[in-house]
Amino acid sequence: MSTPLLERFVAEARDLLQGAASGLLVLEKRPGDEAAINDVFRSVHTLKGSVGLFDFPAFAKLVHAGEDVLSAVRANQLALTSELVDMLLDGLDQVGAWIDSIEGTGALPEGADGVSKEMTAGLRTSLPADYGVSQAAGAAVAHADELGTVDWLAALPESDRLSAFAAAMGGAEIHAIEYVPVEDCFFSGEDPFILFRQLTGLHSLTIEPTEPWAAIDALDPYRCILRFRALVAVPRAEAETLFRYVVEQVRMAPVAPHVLASITGDRNGGPVYGDFVDEARGLIVAADWPTFRRAIGGLLQLTAPSLLLASALRWLDAVLAAPSPNPGWLTALVDRIATGEIDLHPLAPLSVCPIPPSPAPAPRRTGLGGISPTAARILESQRTILGLPQPAGGLAARLDSVAQTVANLLAAEARRAADSVNWAAAIDAAMAQGDVAPALELLDHWLLLDAETAAAAMPVAGDPARRRADVGEHFGQEIKQASRVLKVDQAKVDALMNLIGELVVSKNSLPFLAKRAEEIHGSREMGREIKDLHAVIDRLAQEMQGAIMAVRMLPVSEVFDRFPRLVRDVARKLGKHIDLVIEGADTAADKNIIEALGDPLLHIVRNAIDHGIESPEDRAAAGKPSQAIVLLRAFQESDRVIIEVIDNGKGIDPEKVKESALAKGVIDEERAARLTDQEAVNLVFMPGFSTAAKVSDLSGRGVGMDVVVNGVGKAGGNVTITSVKGAGTTVRLSLPLSMAVTRVMVVEAGGGMLFGIPMDHIAETVRVHRDKVRRLKQSEAFVLRDAIVPLIRLDRLLGVGASTWFGDGSEEDAVLVVRLGGNVVGLVVDQFREGMDIILKPFDGILSGIGGYSGSALLGDGRVLLVLNLKELL
Amino acid sequence: MPFQFAKNMVTAEESCTVEDALPLLEFLQSHRGAKVDLGPCTHLHTAVLQVLLAAKPKITALPREAFLARWLSQTLGPPGRKAGK
Repeated sequence: MSTPLLERFVAEARDLLQGAASGLLVLEKRPGDEAAINDVFRSVHTLKGSVGLFDFPAFAKLVHAGEDVLSAVRANQLALTSELVDMLLDGLDQVGAWIDSIEGTGALPEGADGVSKEMTAGLRTSLPADYGVSQAAGAAVAHADELGTVDWLAALPESDRLSAFAAAMGGAEIHAIEYVPVEDCFFSGEDPFILFRQLTGLHSLTIEPTEPWAAIDALDPYRCILRFRALVAVPRAEAETLFRYVVEQVRMAPVAPHVLASITGDRNGGPVYGDFVDEARGLIVAADWPTFRRAIGGLLQLTAPSLLLASALRWLDAVLAAPSPNPGWLTALVDRIATGEIDLHPLAPLSVCPIPPSPAPAPRRTGLGGISPTAARILESQRTILGLPQPAGGLAARLDSVAQTVANLLAAEARRAADSVNWAAAIDAAMAQGDVAPALELLDHWLLLDAETAAAAMPVAGDPARRRADVGEHFGQEIKQASRVLKVDQAKVDALMNLIGELVVSKNSLPFLAKRAEEIHGSREMGREIKDLHAVIDRLAQEMQGAIMAVRMLPVSEVFDRFPRLVRDVARKLGKHIDLVIEGADTAADKNIIEALGDPLLHIVRNAIDHGIESPEDRAAAGKPSQAIVLLRAFQESDRVIIEVIDNGKGIDPEKVKESALAKGVIDEERAARLTDQEAVNLVFMPGFSTAAKVSDLSGRGVGMDVVVNGVGKAGGNVTITSVKGAGTTVRLSLPLSMAVTRVMVVEAGGGMLFGIPMDHIAETVRVHRDKVRRLKQSEAFVLRDAIVPLIRLDRLLGVGASTWFGDGSEEDAVLVVRLGGNVVGLVVDQFREGMDIILKPFDGILSGIGGYSGSALLGDGRVLLVLNLKELL
Repeated sequence: MPFQFAKNMVTAEESCTVEDALPLLEFLQSHRGAKVDLGPCTHLHTAVLQVLLAAKPKITALPREAFLARWLSQTLGPPGRKAGK
């Protein structure tokens, strides 16, 4: 199973992982780098967002944990240590493995849940203990705007408000939430409705359109015009955490319980309730709540639910359900029943001073120390009750109820025993005096707000706000980037390349046509016009070819990017201190070349670290700084891209190489004696050669550098190595910029047959007097600048008819001097022709078995040019 | 596809995702007066919910799932009645 969406996710996820990993390494070096941490965070954040589209919970959890850690690092709550980087990198590796699995099978491998759980737990333990809290508190102030008016509360179903009210009486904080998702939220994978499903204390949820519905035929199902309004009984911080990704679309306000109450309904038609009002007033004064509730219950059964009376009774019941019913409220409700009026706000606020609008940061009170906002509110309400005008004889009951409530509260808040003792003493005093003053005094003392601590509890708004602004900017950039980059299948570009090749060939036939026009049809005019046209098409075709080749060009950073990680890991493993320096990462080359580069380069860098760089102690002994440097450098040199791996390690010891080569039987003693130092160093390229004393898991598995030479050679490149003992080694790879176009020299042999010889091999062209050709038995040779160069006649080599030789020894032979793997050979040809850019087509079908040729190309006049593979021929 | 489209009846099953909003809308556009049975449904994506709110089809059964049953009855109105304001 592989949907286009999943495919895109896989490709994108890999890019994001790469970005995150390289960012992490930058961060490890420069922990304060804000751009880097933002980059890493954004990568992981985006990854988390995209994985949310699929059902990979293990994946999502791990990425989420990583995001939290990064977020803490970004907020300077957590220091980024090497261990933490290791952990994050391990996480990224795991995610990378999962992506491979997803790409292959469309699912996570078995056991992913367990792995994810373990790694997630590991990451989470590194988080500071107060991480979640402080994040939520920061978000609360910076993000969720206050909900200005909550007048829609009254329109909520009474049952919802009653249930929220009951929760509030039970000590919960009630918040009104208004969430208006942005219109295109569905496109970013959001499901606003599902957020409410996760809210634990949901007491009311209204979903309404923000504008009138369009006609059903014109409805756009993916434009969200809904508005969610909810009453929740959860602390603000918790709600903010839940809505943290859409927090700018959410407005919240704390709701005091009294706001919830409203009495509406049919005014007439109820049973006679005059008696009830009188009885109720008596019961309130007597504070006989159980009897009151029974009376209400009885009357409710007799009353139609839609009546105003029923509504008022339900509220009375709800108020009475509280641990310590508020007599003020009860009186107000009973008054409403007496007057029979609709009242949307029958209840007065709990205390004279308004409740602080945002109770989230719990202010400390001097008297009691830190208490929860709810507890503070209860205390305030108790104080209000005590402060009410005294009904005759009701003091004892009221004092008793308040005393009990406060005592319970003190127990629940786990207060100091001294507080409870003080309270009991105050109540006793009040009872004895028949006056509430002592209890009031103590409550006032407790409620005294410490202005200083309250101010300190107000979170600083500046920082999180700025952070949000940053995030906003980044999202903007991301969108811009995304729209500029086009991901195209390589096959499509290759097809274009083939087409342009055909075009070049067809274009090349125009000069022949011009010639024919002149010679056969005798029209010079026509011939010139065709030539003019050819010049135009030629220019366009060349530009087009260049443009298409540019499409295939990739920066070498594609390969280089993996090295910081590799060098870091290997160096840590070996206990070496290595600084990797990368230069010219934006040097571009053809995609195939870049891809062919990966493995050889990996091998070279590993070799450099494992064998080249000494341990810190050895370096110190040699008087070098303990931090070794590996320089990875890329640059362009004419039509080749050069990549150098330079280390300042111990270099290669030619003597040791010779010894080792002798011992392994790669060379014999006689040859060893003749070798120069440079030649000795080159021995490392010989198959089966490895100087490593012990086989490590990094390099030195006996497959030495010959692997490198082969790999690079396949891409048309070559490798050279230079080394100074004690000072370091330089490995230099030289590769063509592009493999799409091959530059060949066309030569004539065998009486007018044309052959192409790759320009890479050609050292020079010389003309040699036939007298100067020396014969050594069957072979011929000539002397070129004091060196003997063997001569090979191309026509004989290919078995085509040799051209007849006229004239005397003063005639010259055309000799192409070619270099093959360090050997110089002279190829005798009939004639040199021009150099040419061709698009080489390898033989396929039944021709593919023919050796000696690397392929063919079409010439402008329709002839086929065979391109020789000199390595196979000679 | 969590929606089973019958002649003049849609049954929502399991979790209805954002991708199901468009097919549902198209069906409701072409079948005026179609009925919707949400009984077996376990979650409605907001987009699907929006289509139901806008098209106001006749809902024959609300979801049995507790959360949806609790909140959709207010939003979509009790089953059997034409949902509206």
